[in-house]
Amino acid sequence: MRKWIILIALLVLGIFAYNYIYQEHRNIQDETPEFVVTAVELSKEFSNDPKASERKYLNKTIVINGIITEQNENDLILNPNIFCQFEQKITTNDTVVQIKGRVIGYDDLLEEIKLDQCNILPN
Amino acid sequence: MKYLLYFLVFMSLSVTAQDKYITKTGVVQFEASVPSFEEVAAKNNAVTGIINADNGEFAALAMVKAFRFKNALMEEHFNENYAESYLYPKATFKGTIDGFSLKTEKTTYKITGELNFHGVSKTISNIDITSVHKNDTIVIEGTFKVLASDFNIKIPKIVSNKIAEEIVVNFSFELVKQ
Repeated sequence: MRKWIILIALLVLGIFAYNYIYQEHRNIQDETPEFVVTAVELSKEFSNDPKASERKYLNKTIVINGIITEQNENDLILNPNIFCQFEQKITTNDTVVQIKGRVIGYDDLLEEIKLDQCNILPN
Repeated sequence: MKYLLYFLVFMSLSVTAQDKYITKTGVVQFEASVPSFEEVAAKNNAVTGIINADNGEFAALAMVKAFRFKNALMEEHFNENYAESYLYPKATFKGTIDGFSLKTEKTTYKITGELNFHGVSKTISNIDITSVHKNDTIVIEGTFKVLASDFNIKIPKIVSNKIAEEIVVNFSFELVKQ
């Protein structure tokens, strides 16, 4: 009997350890956004104080309302300087969109705000 | 005479106009794996790269948070304990490609510059790169090695047999003329 208890305890521990080590990646699209902003507001905030804004938004899931000014296969620019990278091909034909993604930082070479794991939210 | 003046003005303008090639989706990968242990590798495919074709100056900027690992826990540990990306969200490189010219279509160069990561700057010299120039794009690729300790990153003893001290970095940029 004792043997069995030890064995089961080890098994449960093993399962917990496995689930901890091989936990799943964050799913940005399932998260509730911490901020909902317009592209122009966000851009203004970053141009006023890039460092503080970066600290505020870094690694956060946000929703941005904006206008697409440039569209490529896997990324797009929201007016005026927000770069959104997608993991899938972008299929939208709209120009006014709502995008959910994760802020990865402020690119001071091109003066752009960068997001990854983006998706266009349905209207 | 007037036309000559126009011509001269035009010429001087075209000389001073900088020939910039830019990408926002450059790829930087690194690996610090030890054989027979789980791979320690990450990829960032949102790296900004700029080449000034007039003088061969090259600048790159990678968001540290954008390095993605296969293992989510490894990614978390990388960000929190090793790269401390909440304090140092950017990795940058600034350097010069030796003898850069747009005349040759395919060639190899050496690049020297300063790599900044985890708040530490280190000069890395004479890295071999291949460059392919076609129409309005330049593709630049290369590999170099750095030590974790050079960037003030301490690998705890308990995992030191699973993470290599020497890190191999691969990069690939497809830059488009602006």
